[in-house]
Parts: sequence; C-alpha cells; structure tokens
Amino acid sequence: MSNTLRPYLNAVRATLTAALTLENFSSQVVERHNKPEVEVQTSPEALLKPLIVSRNESERVLIEPSVNAIRLSISIKQADEIEKILCHKFTRFMMMRAEGFVILRRKPIPGYDISFLITNFHSESMLKHKLVDFIIQFMEDVDKEISEMKLSLNARARIVAESYLSTVSAFSTREYDYNLANLTNLARVRKPRLDVISGHSKLG
Amino acid sequence: MAEYAFRKINIDALEEDVLLPSDLYDPDPRGPDGVLSDAQAKSTEVRNLISRGDIPGALNAILTDPPYGEGVDEAKNLTKNALLLILNSTRASEIPAILKSLGQEQQDHLMAYIYKGMAAIGQGSDVTGSVLLNWHSQLTEVAGVGCIVRVMTDRRTL
Repeated sequence: MSNTLRPYLNAVRATLTAALTLENFSSQVVERHNKPEVEVQTSPEALLKPLIVSRNESERVLIEPSVNAIRLSISIKQADEIEKILCHKFTRFMMMRAEGFVILRRKPIPGYDISFLITNFHSESMLKHKLVDFIIQFMEDVDKEISEMKLSLNARARIVAESYLSTVSAFSTREYDYNLANLTNLARVRKPRLDVISGHSKLG
Repeated sequence: MAEYAFRKINIDALEEDVLLPSDLYDPDPRGPDGVLSDAQAKSTEVRNLISRGDIPGALNAILTDPPYGEGVDEAKNLTKNALLLILNSTRASEIPAILKSLGQEQQDHLMAYIYKGMAAIGQGSDVTGSVLLNWHSQLTEVAGVGCIVRVMTDRRTL
C-alpha cells in the first residue's frame, strides 16, 4: 500500500513547492484592498492553472495557484460509512478551530474534504519548506488517524457488546433475544461474536 | 422586498476593455480544422510507432505542436488518449532515457498531460494513478520543479 503512497506524496510535494511562489499583490478591483486572488477570482490574469494530483478515484489533491495565494484541497480516502463519518467529524473538528492552524480554510472546496489557503503573508512569515512539510505530514497522519479511530471504534463496540451480553445472559431467553436485537442496533457491531452469544444463550 | 438581483451583476464584464482568458495567449495559427486533422494524423502515427516499439519516436511526435486553446476539444481528446496509451505501454526501466531525449518544451507538454491524466482518473480513464505518478516523479527528477511552474503559468490549456 505504501509503495504508491510515497510517489503520491512526492508528486504533491513537487507541485506544492512549484506553486508556493507568492508575492504581495493588491486587488485590482477594490482600491486599498489586498485579497487572495484565488478566492475572489476577479482577475483572470492573476490566476494560474489549477493542477490535480491523484492516486486513485477517492484520493486526490487539487492545487489552485494564483499570484498571491494558493488553495490546496485534499480528498481523503473513505472506504465505508464509518470512515465517512469519522472523516467528516475529524475535518470538522479542525476546521472549527481554523485560527489555530493559521493556513487552514474554514470550509472545504466542494468535492473535497479539507482545504488550505496559503497567502503571501503566510509564506513571508513562515519557512516555505516547513509549510510544504506540514502539508505532507498532515496528509500522512490523517489517513493513519482515521484508520486508528476506526479500529478503536470497532474494538470499543465489541467490548460494549461483551459486557452488555454478560449482564443480560442471566435473563430469560425471550428477554435476551429482545435485548440482543436492540444491542446490535446500538453498538454498531459489525461482526457479532457468535461464539459469545451462543455460549451465553446455553447458560441462560 | 425590493429587487436586488442587479447587485450581483458583474458590471466589469460588460466593459469594453474587459480581459478574457482567451486574450492571454495567441490562438493556434492552424485553425480548429487544421488542428483536428493534425491530431488525427498524429494519433494514427503514434499507434503505428507503438506497434513497432518506437516509444521515444511516438512521444516525440505527439508532444510537438499539441492542440491548445478553446474549441478543439475533439483534437485534445485524441491527443490525450494517444499520449496516455504511450505512457501505459512504456516499461518503467526505459522512462529516464526517454525523458532525457525530449526537448524542454516537450517535457513541459508531457508534464501538462500527466496532470491532465491525473485529473481524469475519477472519470472513467483506463490509466492507473501509479503509472502517472511514476512518470511524474521521473520527469520531475529530469526537468526539475521549473517544469511544473511552466505548466502552471502556461495560458495555453492543452
């Protein structure tokens, strides 16, 4: 798996390094304003060609350069419903605290999960290669983070199910069936542990 | 509620000296029909060259004077498909030598097509990401980051 992750991240790194050549540029439409051209999209001559780096259908990065800002949007891999929920919660958590991350955009671009906006002021106050490293590190970590959360969620669901079943195992069979039905809905058990269930029902 | 939709009209677009994206580059002197016939001729030539195993020749042919600008979507598609066919049918060990034999302008065009191919991955293209990523990394090694910058700043969309 990681043998395609490495070239993917390298391509993003090269593209980002190329795109991060920003300079101060005042708005040509509103006097004495200084806006990121990639966001306002008012002067076509200040925008450059947007580039997409993609690994497969679900994982891609859109880099939109302009004269004084670049916008980088990441689409994160989501294999199933749980990963979708986790990814949404995770990115939302960070985007609500976008001030703390400085370059994070408060809303993602449609079709992507999370966006960054790097302006010339950011690239002046921070080191360019560190910015690039940060983005690459983020992309590495976010996949890891989400798969870890998914694992711990499943493990937790299993523990909940087991402890719950051990208390209901003393109940009568009818009550037990009822509780089991509720439980499978509640705990999102993906694979019910049949050995545990049948073992307890024999006891009951 | 008063009518306020007029506030959303971009009045700058109605001015006489408005700058359009198509004003930023010179149009192709061949004209749309010439470009299309050129692209068709080139894509058949490329197929012949590939069947003979002459990958550098095929790449060289397709990357000289590729179609650009507006109104030549069919020619662009033909060229893109021919190029992706070349990229797919090249052995990984041959890539660096092939890249070194290309001129700078051709390398830039190749980089632009690699990005175009990656953008099309979600929309039913038969090239896998790993092939394109491999070409991308090899090309970056040969031509440097400047090649990517030239792709971004080139107003002629391939």
